[in-house]
Amino acid sequence: MTPIAVIGLLLLSVALFAIAAATLWWMLHAWRTPAVLRTTGFEVRRDEPRCSFSLLVPARHEEAVLGHTLDQLADLDHPSFEVLAIVGHDDDGTRSVAEASAARHPDRVRVVVDQNWPKNKPKALNTALPECRGDVVGVFDAEDEVDRRLLRQVDTCFTTTDAHVVQGGVQLVNFQSSWYSLRNCLEYFFWFRSRLHLHAEHRFIPLGGNTVFVRRDVLQAVGGWDPECLAEDCELGVRLSALGARVEVAYDPTLVTREETPPTLVALFKQRTRWNQGFLQVLRKGEWRRLPTSRQRMLARYTLAMPFLQAITGIAIPISLLAMMRFHAPVPIAMLSFLPAVPTLATLAFEAAGLREFGRLYYVRPRAWDYVRLVAGTFVYQVILAAAAIRAVARELRGARGWEKTAHVGAHRAPSVATIDLRDGVGASVEQANL
Amino acid sequence: MSVDERLVELGLDPEPTEAPDVRIGLSARARSWAWFHRRSIAIVTPLLVLAVVVQHSNLSRWPAPFDDEGTYVAQGWAVQVHHQLAHYTYWYDHPPLGWIQLALWNWPQAVLGRSTHAITDGRNAMVIASVVSAALVYVLARRLGLGRPAAAGALVIFTLCPLALAQHRMVLLDNIAVPWLLAALVLAASPRRSLWAAGAAGVCAGVAVLSKETFLLLTPVVAWQLWRHADRKTRSFCLTAFGVALGMLVLAYPLYALLKGELIPGADHVSLVDAIRFQLFDRNSSGSVLDHASGSRATVETWLALDPWLLFGGLVVGGCAFFSKSMRSMRPLALALVILVLAMLRGGYLPGPFVIGALPFAALLVAGLGDAMARTFSSRSASPQLRFGAGLTTVALLLSLVVVGPNWLHHDRQLLGTNDAQPTWDAEGWVAQNVPRTERIIVDDTMWLDLVRQGFDEHTGVVWFFKLDSTNNLDPSVAQQLPNGWREFNFIVSTPYLRRSLVEMPGGLQPVRDALKSSRVVATFGAGDNTVEVRAIDPQGPQP
Repeated sequence: MTPIAVIGLLLLSVALFAIAAATLWWMLHAWRTPAVLRTTGFEVRRDEPRCSFSLLVPARHEEAVLGHTLDQLADLDHPSFEVLAIVGHDDDGTRSVAEASAARHPDRVRVVVDQNWPKNKPKALNTALPECRGDVVGVFDAEDEVDRRLLRQVDTCFTTTDAHVVQGGVQLVNFQSSWYSLRNCLEYFFWFRSRLHLHAEHRFIPLGGNTVFVRRDVLQAVGGWDPECLAEDCELGVRLSALGARVEVAYDPTLVTREETPPTLVALFKQRTRWNQGFLQVLRKGEWRRLPTSRQRMLARYTLAMPFLQAITGIAIPISLLAMMRFHAPVPIAMLSFLPAVPTLATLAFEAAGLREFGRLYYVRPRAWDYVRLVAGTFVYQVILAAAAIRAVARELRGARGWEKTAHVGAHRAPSVATIDLRDGVGASVEQANL
Repeated sequence: MSVDERLVELGLDPEPTEAPDVRIGLSARARSWAWFHRRSIAIVTPLLVLAVVVQHSNLSRWPAPFDDEGTYVAQGWAVQVHHQLAHYTYWYDHPPLGWIQLALWNWPQAVLGRSTHAITDGRNAMVIASVVSAALVYVLARRLGLGRPAAAGALVIFTLCPLALAQHRMVLLDNIAVPWLLAALVLAASPRRSLWAAGAAGVCAGVAVLSKETFLLLTPVVAWQLWRHADRKTRSFCLTAFGVALGMLVLAYPLYALLKGELIPGADHVSLVDAIRFQLFDRNSSGSVLDHASGSRATVETWLALDPWLLFGGLVVGGCAFFSKSMRSMRPLALALVILVLAMLRGGYLPGPFVIGALPFAALLVAGLGDAMARTFSSRSASPQLRFGAGLTTVALLLSLVVVGPNWLHHDRQLLGTNDAQPTWDAEGWVAQNVPRTERIIVDDTMWLDLVRQGFDEHTGVVWFFKLDSTNNLDPSVAQQLPNGWREFNFIVSTPYLRRSLVEMPGGLQPVRDALKSSRVVATFGAGDNTVEVRAIDPQGPQP
């Protein structure tokens, strides 16, 4: 091995180690000390409601799940709120489901028809924004399982803090559906339970796509969502952070919005491509450069580039190890090349601990088999994430910015609901239609 | 109204300024730390000064240099000078981190000025290790809930017990591992119960294991302490951090062997698996502790001759800790003693320094008993019977203090006035003056490095006596270089350790026995068991 190759591999090892270690440390933010865990918890209080809410539910080809979601939202425990279902002008199936629900709850649910073309989620949201009457605008997805007590808690959060934005918890719960759903669930768990709190603390936060609540005046003042961004939620969060908005993260396992993982690996791959491309767009747009401190800008740069760094590390670590073994590097150098494996394996161990914690919070008992799947699936999952990151870069360079929508079948719902949806044959056909 | 104005009105500032830097400076933090701990600092500082003085006095004269000390000092030198783990083939006898740390000490030592004997330099490093350990004993005692007087008591016991005094100054891997193990326990009892501390505890425990492999036995103690101390909600993450840090560090050792192609046994190389097999199974057993005539029994008796009080006291109190509610926090320490006793009873080879791992735990337990009794006695909520019992135990402890204290001080003063090392140093001086540098000498490890520094050839000029065959090592390099074995040598230095090895390994070390038989004494130093002889070998001597 030439000295230059050795030095190059060493630098690569150190860089990979740093990336993996930083990601791990941020992933574990909430568990740093018991005190931090307490402060990142959601103080459950029952103050008198003071705010009114407009809840936006953009839906496209969601006739399988939308009706149930709207009925559930209409039934939330809060005196003052409205639900706006946003449907496309070309999507009669979804529209009729939404209108049926509006007919069942005339004083709660309204239907807004989005005429834009081509269609995407931010355009739908912007269409509904002028129609909102509440003090606070909330966003939900068509397949969300929302806890009945959520609005009162969010209300308390707005009235007891000076927050402009409240991000509620979202959790994928169907971790036993498939090997990748397990990993997907854990990703959400670590993100909402832990990592988002770090972002809120540093006042730079890429918001989530649903269960996010923004004061209507603030939203209108900044002009709503970016209609061309594939990660409109993240973009809004970054833009608001740059303006100094205060964000509260309200995570409580009893109040999280439950979602399902994408039904197939291909769907997951496409969803991840869209997110990555969205992050890339936000990175290029450069709003984050207006963040006041250099530390925040570093965090922003790092977070937005994360999917790509993750892709690089996931692939580069095994390759650098193989290279070291193959070319018989001197023993101390070969030892150092194992450095990035340390945080990587540590991450895996903490994911196992996280799975246990997840099971404790959501009253499910992960089986030994789930831990096996967790470990066994790591590498393949990394490869899929890496491939999605590469595809995102390729699409962005090509200028392909179409919205690849994720289909929903209701696997996260109580069995009875999901079965009804599937028996109608609608859920299955939607899945087919969208892929 | 512009958007910007509207945003300001909404409480959003579109052009925020740099956040004010409110970080507290290091010196301010240090000052507030010192102020917060002023009472402990006032107690510990003089005790640590005392520890330095006691540990440092008579350092080069007592106890007599021990073979292992020479081994580690020489291997530390090999790390520093040759950038190798040993000057002979490294055969995985112990993980190397202990003497790597020793090698690090060589730089400050070189600045301070080297002494005539490499072992004395190594012992200086041990003074540092034992003083750090003493400080950590105090901190650990405090973190386990002991009052300041009891914590100070643990420190004093740990420093002044004659057995500790004898063991702590010798250049032994155990002495290097102990401060790391104590640091791991201190971190596992971190008041903030942070994830960092749990991971750092794992790192410290890992360094302890890589310094001396037997400390692997004590890692469950740290894990248990961490488990007891951690918050229920962060416990699994803390234990994961600990386990991952410890596991990764310890795995680095087999990884090193793997990368060198020396993990699995093979025809033409040493291997880690062979070495582990040797240490655990093949090494000559020193017999059962319960057998009066065994080597293990002799080892234990040398410990008890120096001080029976602390070891027995620690064991008794350790047993009580499992049943007494007021000593709950001490249970992991009691577990440490239980593990060590079980390991001792297992049979196999019992090394003399084995006791070092038990000393801090015994000291802490005895002090912990005093603390618990004093608390119970002064507690209003305890029943009168309990308070009476506690009072009685306190009186018994104070009485034993009156008996043991002066006994220890007397013993310590005696030991610190002894000169056991002189015969070895004199023999070394004689060889340096009278033996030409072209001659070959069989020595024990204690004088090897000094003679190399005097100009003898490090490869085949001076040679460790047990490198001549494979009774007590798995490195064939010397035997291969000198095919005629002992006949290639001109001198052999017979030390107490060499003679004891011959007794302890009957049937082994044949080349050494032959060399002794075919040689005559040319110089003698010391008397009785401590005698060191320089003997000239007659290579044509009668076939023994």
